[in-house]
This record gives sequence, structure tokens and C-alpha cells, in this order.
Amino acid sequence: MSAPVLARFSGAVRRTRAIALKEFRHMARDPQVVLLALAMPLVLILVFGYGVSFDVERVPLVVVDRDRTAESRALARAFTAAGTFDLVAVSDDEAAVEPLFRGGHAKVALVIPPDFQRAQGRGDTATAQLLVDGTDNATATIALGYAETIGLTLTQRDLPRGFDVPLRAEVRTLFNPALRSAVFIVPGLIVLVLVIVSVMLTALTVAREYERGSMEQLFATPVGRVELILGKLMPYFVLGLMQVLLVLVVGVYLFEVPLRGSVALIFVSASVFLLAELAFGLVISIVTRSQMVAAQVAAISTFLPALILSDFLFPIDNMPPPLRVVSSLLPPRYLVHALRAIMLRGNGVESVLPDLAAMGAFFIVMMVIATRKFRRTVA
Amino acid sequence: MSDVLTSSPALEARGLVRRFGRTVAVSDLSLSIAPGELYGLVGPDGAGKTTALRLLVGLLTPDGGEARVAGAVSHAAGGALRASLGYMPQQYSLYGDLSIDENLRFFGDLFGLSSTNFRERVAHLLGITQLTRFRDRRADALSGGMYKKLALACALLHRPRALVLDEPTNGVDPVSRRELWELLYTLVDEGLAVLLATPYMDEAARCHRVGLLQGGRLIAEDAPAALVRAFEDLAYFVTAADRDAAEAALHDLPGVRALSPHGPGLRVIVAAADAEAFRRRFASADMRWHLEPTAPDFEDVFLMRSIDAE
Repeated sequence: MSAPVLARFSGAVRRTRAIALKEFRHMARDPQVVLLALAMPLVLILVFGYGVSFDVERVPLVVVDRDRTAESRALARAFTAAGTFDLVAVSDDEAAVEPLFRGGHAKVALVIPPDFQRAQGRGDTATAQLLVDGTDNATATIALGYAETIGLTLTQRDLPRGFDVPLRAEVRTLFNPALRSAVFIVPGLIVLVLVIVSVMLTALTVAREYERGSMEQLFATPVGRVELILGKLMPYFVLGLMQVLLVLVVGVYLFEVPLRGSVALIFVSASVFLLAELAFGLVISIVTRSQMVAAQVAAISTFLPALILSDFLFPIDNMPPPLRVVSSLLPPRYLVHALRAIMLRGNGVESVLPDLAAMGAFFIVMMVIATRKFRRTVA
Repeated sequence: MSDVLTSSPALEARGLVRRFGRTVAVSDLSLSIAPGELYGLVGPDGAGKTTALRLLVGLLTPDGGEARVAGAVSHAAGGALRASLGYMPQQYSLYGDLSIDENLRFFGDLFGLSSTNFRERVAHLLGITQLTRFRDRRADALSGGMYKKLALACALLHRPRALVLDEPTNGVDPVSRRELWELLYTLVDEGLAVLLATPYMDEAARCHRVGLLQGGRLIAEDAPAALVRAFEDLAYFVTAADRDAAEAALHDLPGVRALSPHGPGLRVIVAAADAEAFRRRFASADMRWHLEPTAPDFEDVFLMRSIDAE
């Protein structure tokens, strides 16, 4: 490198550092921001860790046994034995179900028809009806799954010995044997926390310079667009990594989330994601030039995808194709995927390379847009 | 080398045009400011002053024409332009949550000042702006005048050859205003070229040369005294406690071109050719007010030039 190039480079580094230092100072002078940035992950992880649970237990169950035979009682017992369902009422009249559902006292009803034992004795398909309160969609779906398993096991058990067992279901859950929600929520939560705070704050920073009029002064200095952008990214990048650390520590120590893979790889993945999302926040800021609008746009365009399209709460495989496409264009799903692979499965770098590449590509595209859209002019 | 530099203008505009939609904000603006010259761009709000300055400092791209600072094309916004230009926007544009020192440090870094150079410049600039005592004070805790001085110091850190100021005394008390002007004279004496925009006629009159801007056009340009000397109309002062009645009565007298309230009465501008007729009618119309001739000032010049231009 020749001397002038070197001098120019060191000037660029110095200006970038000056911008970053200034942003750090803004942050330090406004402790509420830092407090928010660090309290938010804590609140979220506590809410999600304790409050949001997909483990369906003690679902209130009403049994309507119109058969009253040994077989029908065996079926009812099978339902109440596991702890998934909590028997709240027994009745011999189907009419009792609706009031219990309406009052919220029961969510699932097992209705055994009068000819249940006879049908089974004949070798016909013995049918029992399961009524599920569909207003609580998540519980209903999971309860149905449990019910199916119970029904299947029961069928197998009652099959006469010596018969060929046509189907043997053996479910063994890997990596999260207890199917605890916290374990798979934490990776998704990291994504959510990062977009809520870091992207939002970044989206505000450039818009703030335009609103305060300081952008006009900045443009009259030799500071370059890339220097300004990188300098502004840095403090929020550091803040984001602190949030990742916080969520990890709380997740591991409070919710016993396993950390099977490399912590360094977790931070590498989170860093690439942060860069991608922060650059996105900057694009929002540069294009809108208004803190109000930037905040709204950031909330809609980063928070919602992180919550809905990231595979965090809703499986991407179940989404209609257009949503799957949108999801694949945005970074959140890649980090959720990578973090689950690293943290829960203990996978190495080779399994998350595609995720890193996707997020890296997003970062580059956003940087190109940011520098292109960022004009050194005021109008 | 230095001969070439001093003889070439520090700031130059040639046929600048800038439109916003259908509005022509600046139209065919040409001006040239030499090192050591204090040039005032004067005009009412909306005349295009800020747009003109932004075109000169490269914050706006012209639709036509070209601006140069120390020979560097403004809208190319290159390093040479930044190095030779100091700019102080009209709005508050420093960081209120940073102290005087931190603001200076920030701009010093952006301009790439060496640490010895920086210390020397800061000591000098804080000295002449009398801000040394307040170095640790946050910028948003400064008075309007102190803030402007800090902004001036930030704009001067890198020893620019041209300084562009957009309404620098806006929101500044009279004492600070005088101090700012004294500062400007000192800087100009040291060879700095200064271009400032102002809506105030008394400030315009203090410049070496002024350009009158109206509707984006430069309608007159000269030294303030020369413009006053070239003034062809006559100015009178009418002492009148009941100004409205006096204005109504005087309005239709021959040769009256402009009437404006002024202290305890009215300032009247009368076309020189009709002055005789005006005085006769004033005497005969049984006017109860006192009329006396007065020396035209810069404000009269600006007012009449504006009317002539329309």
C-alpha cells in the first residue's frame, strides 16, 4: 500500500471511530436507552420462559360415557392417566358438554357412544368422539395430538396377542426429550430481542441527524457515507451482542437451556445477523429521514417477521408458499435455524454455513442500498 | 503559488439555477468573493438565500451553472472542497448532549487534525470566542450567542479558506451579536473569505459587499455605501403620532413610492423628479405633521430595489 492510500485509510478509520464514539456518548447520555436495551431481553425471556408454554398439561376434560362398560371406562382411564388431561366432570349426557365449554370449565370432551364395547367385541372399528374447544387453537391442536397417541396405544394394547401388529408407534423425541418450550424459545427470543431494540435504535439514529439538522453539518465535513454508516452501526452492534449474552446467560442458568455447541459460533452467527438487521435499520432511517416514520416502519418490517416468519413460534413448513418466500428473504429464520442447530443439536459450523451465507448476503444488499440511497445532499 | 491562490476567488458561483418542483428557488446566480472579503447575501425570507448557500457548499446539486470553493467544484463534494470550506447552517446542528470539548473533538477528528494542531486551534478558537471557561458545558445548555460561537469554532477548526454562514445572528442577543461581528471582522482581516446570509439590513450594511436577493435573483450587488450613493430617490421623515392617519393622507401625494412606519413617524420615499410637487402638495394640503428630509439608508435602498425589480 502506498503512503497516500495508507493515509487516506487511517483518516477513514479515524472518522469512523469518531462517529462511533459520538454515538456511544449519545447512548451514555441517555441511560434510558441502555436500560431499555438491557431490560427488554430480561422481560421478554421471563415472559416467554414462564408465561408462554407450548407444553399442554392438565387440559380440563369432561367424559360423557354413554356405554358404561369395562371398555368404555378403560378408554376414559387412559385419557386421565397421563396427566395431560384433567378430569373435571363425568356425565352420561352429551348436552352437558356445551355449558362446560362455554363456561371455560372444560376444553376437551370425550364422548363414548352406547355401542362402544359391542362394536369392539364384533371387531368393528369402535368409535369414540372427541370434542375440542377450538377457540384455543394451540391447546386444541396439541390436545388432539395427545388424544391420538392415547387412542393408538390403547388400540395396540387391546389387540389380541398373536396378531401381527400392523403399526407400532414409537415416538422418541431427540434433543429436547422433555419437549420443554424454553429450550426452543430461547433461540427465537434472541432474534426477537435483537430486532426489537437494536434495529429500532439504529433506525432512529440517521433520522435523528436529519431531524436535528446535524446532518447538514456532517455533510460539510470530509466524513464519507460508508464511514458514517459503519460508525453508526458499531455502538448498536456492541449493544446487540450484550443482549445476546444476557439472553444466553439467563436462558442457560434460569431455564436450563442446553448449550451443546460452540459459544463462539453462536456469537459469530448473532453478529452476522446483527449486521444484516442493523444495515436494514439504517436503510429505513436513510429512506424515511423521520424518527416517527422510521420507528413505525422498523416495527412492522423487522418485528413481525422475527415473530411470525422466523420459525420461532409458527412452523415455516405450515405456511402458504408466498409467506414461505417472504420468510426466506429475511434474516430472522436463518438465525433461529442456526441457533437451534448450534445450541440444541450441538452442530458445528458446517451445518450453519448456509444460514451465515444467507444473512451475509442480506447484509451486503442492505449496505449497497444504504450507500446508494444516502446522498450527501439535503434535498 | 500563493499569488495564484490570492488572486483567484475563494467562493464563486456562475449561473447557478436550482428548482424545487415548479418553484425556481435560485435563478442564474453569479457571484464571486475574494479572500479577505465579507460578502452579505441579503433578502427577505423565501428569497432563496439558504438554497444559494447550500448550492455553494455542495449540499444541493444545481440544475444549472456551477459553484466553486477555492477552485473545487462544490457539487462534486470532494475532499478539496471540504478542506477549504467552513459552513455553519442556520439550524442548530451541533450535538446538544455533547459538551463544547466533545463537539470540537468530534469535528477535529472528522477533519483529521493532528493532536498538536487540534490543541492549538481549540485553544485559539475558544480564546477568541471566550468559551474557554465553558469547555465542559453541554451544547444545549449554552445561550444562543454562545452556541453560535461554538458552531463558528467548529466550522473554523480546520482553517478553511472560505466560511459560509446562514443567518449567523438568528436568535442571538445584541451583545453577543456585536461580539460575533467583531469576530468576523478579525477573521476577514486574516484573509478569510466570508459569505453570510442575513435578513437584517443593518447587518448587510456592515459587509464589504452585498448582493440583494429577491425571488432567487440577484437584483443588485455592490458595496453598501455605493448602493446608498446610487440611490436616486429622496427620503423624508414625517413625525406623526397618529401614523395611520398620516399614512392614509400621504399615500396619494405625487411621487410617493413607499411608506414605512419608523419610530415616532413614517419614512417616505419620494421619486426625485416629483420631489418638488410632493413638497408643494404637502405644504398646501394643510398637513398637520412635520416633514423633514433625511439621508437615505441601506434599508431604503433594499426596499426600492425590491419594488423596482417587481
